[in-house]
Amino acid sequence: MAYRITVDVGGTFTDVVLTDEQGDVRLGKSPTTPERAFDGIRGGLEVIAGELDAEVDGLLAETELFVYSTTRATNAIIEQKTASTAFLTTAGFPDILVLREGGKASAFDYETPYPDPYVPRRLTFEVPERIDAEGVVQQPLDEEAAGEIAARLGVLEVEAVAVCLLWSIVNPAHELRLGEILAAALPDASITLSHQLSPVLREYRRASTTAIDASLKPMMGAHIRAVADDLAAAGFAGELLGATSFGGVMHLDDLAARPVYSAKSGPALAPVAGRVYGEAELGARDVVVCDMGGTSFDVSLVLDGAVNFTRTTWLGGQFVGHLIATSSVDVRSIGAGGGSIAWIDPGGLLRVGPESAGAVPGPACYGRDGDRATVTDAALHLGYLDPDGFLGGRMTLDTAASERVVAALGDELGVSADEAAAAVLTVANDHMYAAVAEITVNEGLDPRDSLLVAGGGAAGLTIGRIAAEFGCRHVLVPRTAGALSAMGGQFSDVVAEFSETHLTDTREFDFAGVEEVLEGLDARAAEFAARLHKRGIEATRVEYAVEARYAYQVWDLEMSLPLSRVRDAADVKTVAATFDALHERVYTVSQPGHTVELLTWKARLIGDLEATEKLLAPRAESGGEVRRRRAYFPETGWTDVEVHDGATLAPGAAVAGPALIAEPSSTLVVYPGMTAQVTDHDNYLVLTGEER
Amino acid sequence: MTELDPALLAVLANRFDAIVRDMTGTLLRTGHSTMIAVARDFSCAIATADDELLAAAEGMPVHVFGAHLQTAAIRRVHPEMREGDAFLDNDPYEANTHAGDHTIVVPVFHEGEHLFSTSVKAHQADIGNSIPSSYHPFARDVYEEGALIFSATQIQRDYRDIEDVIRICRRRIRVPDQWYGDYLAMLGAARIGERRLQEVVERYGIDTIRAFVAEWLDYSERRMAHAISALPAVELEGETVHDPIGPLAEPVPVRAKIVVDPEAGVIEIDLRDNVDALPVGINESMACSTNNAVAGILNVLEAGVPINSGSFRRLRVLLREGAVVGIARHPDCCSVATTNIADRLTNVIQHAFAGVGDGQGLAEGAASLSAGYAVIAGEDASGDPYINQLIVGSNGGPGTPRVDGWLTYGAPGGGGLIYRDSVEVDEHKFPMRYTEIRVLPDSGGAGRFRGAPASVVEYGPTAAPMLAAYQIDGHTTPARGARGGLSGSTGAAYRIDREGAAERTANVTQIELLPGERVRGEHGGGGGYGDPRERDPERVLADVLEGYVSVEGARRDYGVAFVGAPEDGTLAIDEATTRGLRGEA
Repeated sequence: MAYRITVDVGGTFTDVVLTDEQGDVRLGKSPTTPERAFDGIRGGLEVIAGELDAEVDGLLAETELFVYSTTRATNAIIEQKTASTAFLTTAGFPDILVLREGGKASAFDYETPYPDPYVPRRLTFEVPERIDAEGVVQQPLDEEAAGEIAARLGVLEVEAVAVCLLWSIVNPAHELRLGEILAAALPDASITLSHQLSPVLREYRRASTTAIDASLKPMMGAHIRAVADDLAAAGFAGELLGATSFGGVMHLDDLAARPVYSAKSGPALAPVAGRVYGEAELGARDVVVCDMGGTSFDVSLVLDGAVNFTRTTWLGGQFVGHLIATSSVDVRSIGAGGGSIAWIDPGGLLRVGPESAGAVPGPACYGRDGDRATVTDAALHLGYLDPDGFLGGRMTLDTAASERVVAALGDELGVSADEAAAAVLTVANDHMYAAVAEITVNEGLDPRDSLLVAGGGAAGLTIGRIAAEFGCRHVLVPRTAGALSAMGGQFSDVVAEFSETHLTDTREFDFAGVEEVLEGLDARAAEFAARLHKRGIEATRVEYAVEARYAYQVWDLEMSLPLSRVRDAADVKTVAATFDALHERVYTVSQPGHTVELLTWKARLIGDLEATEKLLAPRAESGGEVRRRRAYFPETGWTDVEVHDGATLAPGAAVAGPALIAEPSSTLVVYPGMTAQVTDHDNYLVLTGEER
Repeated sequence: MTELDPALLAVLANRFDAIVRDMTGTLLRTGHSTMIAVARDFSCAIATADDELLAAAEGMPVHVFGAHLQTAAIRRVHPEMREGDAFLDNDPYEANTHAGDHTIVVPVFHEGEHLFSTSVKAHQADIGNSIPSSYHPFARDVYEEGALIFSATQIQRDYRDIEDVIRICRRRIRVPDQWYGDYLAMLGAARIGERRLQEVVERYGIDTIRAFVAEWLDYSERRMAHAISALPAVELEGETVHDPIGPLAEPVPVRAKIVVDPEAGVIEIDLRDNVDALPVGINESMACSTNNAVAGILNVLEAGVPINSGSFRRLRVLLREGAVVGIARHPDCCSVATTNIADRLTNVIQHAFAGVGDGQGLAEGAASLSAGYAVIAGEDASGDPYINQLIVGSNGGPGTPRVDGWLTYGAPGGGGLIYRDSVEVDEHKFPMRYTEIRVLPDSGGAGRFRGAPASVVEYGPTAAPMLAAYQIDGHTTPARGARGGLSGSTGAAYRIDREGAAERTANVTQIELLPGERVRGEHGGGGGYGDPRERDPERVLADVLEGYVSVEGARRDYGVAFVGAPEDGTLAIDEATTRGLRGEA
């Protein structure tokens, strides 16, 4: 048997998905083990091995492809537990990481401290040199001064060096030479040069991305080696891949060389799964993917069949966190989940979150001294959760504790406990609604014209209401909702991006220059493809994109190029028209005929891992006992509802609301007036009763 | 009136804020001038059809509190609005801030009824002034200023431009394509707001929306009353001065009297005791006097009070017509009403609140709009003209009762919201080159919580002569510290010739630079809060290691002495000497 294993190591749980050639899908969940990631992975595999009556080592020996995704890089950045890193930049501009791009969340907030730079000023060094916007050397690199800085870094025992010089994206000569000087003087240090990692215009973004990458290299290199060694020791001899922030995978040694791509790689896989499910179930080209866990609600998009990207990813919050400017799957996160705490503000208004009870103490019903009502407490109070069936029965919920905190909240609000609990869900829903609205509006997408796909342990509690609020006709909840990101790993491709900045415009298009750039990108992509071919990944293709804007505009949009070369006036016209259409879709206005400026050119190499379509085959069998429970809905009051065991619902089955469907790691609430259908591919489609 | 479900109240409030954010995001990403698209020098808001301010999420303090006064002014002359209309207004003698801010107002209809107005106010790169800058600090009056004043002028009908108005702008505004691109971007933002509001009304029904508006304003009023009730009953007086500029030999006093009545839950700000309007461009419009006074109050109240007409019921701002801080009368010039005196006004109010007691109020924030905020103009190598305000400097934010000042504060009127330009973007778009941007040591006012330090910015033209206009306040009178905190540094500007010799320029001026020449602008540091000798020595050590405070400055201002040296990693606090310097046993 040839297995494919995908793993998503989160902050709390490690999700494991194992599939075989027949399309059998198995999920395993186990607590994350930060000291040694493999222990948590083994825990998840043991759940699966138990079901298959096999041994973990035996499964690993028969596994040909293993995809590893971890939140480790993300956490290290946010918790500032990365390597001692120095920052080298053009003399005269030492405060690029200090002054950033400005901005603040609230004008009247005088409580939030100004964020520290990612690299402290004391480890920032100014290199005498200057290249101008045209790439002309205005001041040659002072190699003697550079050598002195390198020697000083040796004395300071820095482990990593980030180099970002002004205009290195137009002329990289000084960065390259500086890289050589540093490598010679500091053979053990990890070095990242900005033009090689992230050749984007805007010095802060490039510098921040570069600094983060350099600072991760020592730690992520060691971590990745440890995981690889543990897997090999357990008998794994197949292909080992790591997930990236652009929703693809790369070989783990490539990822160790560019660890910034590992940040947010787990959430980036959720839309990969959403895209496949949406396409298979309803032929959906536009998909909104929601993933709701204990502490955060993540939203991402699939637009016209392709996962949507951003070049602005904040880790640790906008303005106060740190910015990564490499292309990443656009995942918006808000602090809303099962653990979000309900409270009442000084004006008497009910609020939910962003504070979360986390894993400890957790919701009051976890029985760990949590004394404030959370979304989970509200759901338990309303009868949506089975106190004895939580996490597949591995945890019992304390109903009395929930009753107490929810009743106290009701007293404060002057309403019944039932009304208070229902209101908590309504307000929590609204935060998620707003997050979905923001990302869809930004991309000019109407949620009613796209398919909502929901995953995550807590999504089933709320997603029906959110879909109805948008006026969506239905929402898809895959059976694998509890491990959507790990499932995404099963469907992902090898993706590598190559880019180069070359400024030109549609008025005086630089045909020769662009030709040279695209040839250079093709050569790099071909080299990478050759390596994939050697490893047996035969099916590769290249997609092209360019960042573009109208003349006088400042911010650009990434546009897929409908061509692989731009060789005559007609091609330029095609490029301009493509941009007009994109601008019209995103911003509702366009200026046809206006000059379009073109900046950074990209070639994205995709190596198809040929995930089997059998993964979507049904396996449940109908029939089984239906239980009943009391549950509260604002429309009906307390009422008797059916509780279905998900394992007993086969394709074609339909459950009319109000009702509950219990899956091993999540519960789907079918609200009054809604119906849950089991699809041909064995997933749930919740019909909201809305028109569209 | 229907009683609204409490959850629905929160839901709809979030919904209206989200619409304002959509408008903001749209304009930021589509604007053409860097002041709009990079620095975000604009604000969006929603008013009701009967001119109550409803939502102004993320709006700049100096811009938005008066959005509803502006819709009212437009309605007075256009009582019969229709769906598809849009209005351009920049009339500072009615309710606009200053002529440099163009405001687009779109009435929003549902089933033929005018329900809301969306408002988009953005600072323009050019407005047709007699000099190439949307600031004209020395203009005697609006005639010398030369701005095109659009007083509630209709610019769209049936969703189509009224070309007569567009042609006027194209003939009189420099770099007209840039202006038109910005106009389209502003209009797009207002129209996005229109569409989203119509969707919300459709979804919830007009009765629910009406009930929401009434309840939300009442709720906001309760929040404001609650915030005020936490203060003691006091009468506060504050006075500061704006530096002398140009023809004015004397500093200009800025005064405020504040009465806090916690029992009634009301704060009154009396600004009537200010001098008469002056024959320069620093006079305040009614909108700027109101906005910046309210900002000073909001800066010191508890966080989270919604900004709308409901909460404003608890704030009374008393103004006098024809005063420099008051209500500008035509043709008095208020070309720079959004910055200089306006920034002093916010400062004097937040500083006065420190008089309530320790833990209250703020120090002053710096407002030296030196060369890092200059309006630059000229021609590029191919002879195409350019004009734009650089927003690349940084003034230090005030020390507060709980944290150090915010580094990229900008000025009181922006409250830190404004973004900064990228060196690479500016050098790509304009024929200029920067030589230095650096945070200045010892520039933040010392305090228990330190004012944020200032930065210096230096640049010059590469191809052809460049005009640079700037107006520095805080050239002689810096941002003051509060409760024993020290003042921040003063701002200055220097012209540097081709040999590298520097000469200090006037504080408010427009200079011409030839290729090879440069301007060097030092901005201001924020004032400190509390006695610097109460600052945790560990924080002083961190400041020294990070280069924000010098070893000498630490000893002089903070009474902290060190042994060792930062260069070899041995710097440490000299505990005994420090105790002695601080007069501790």
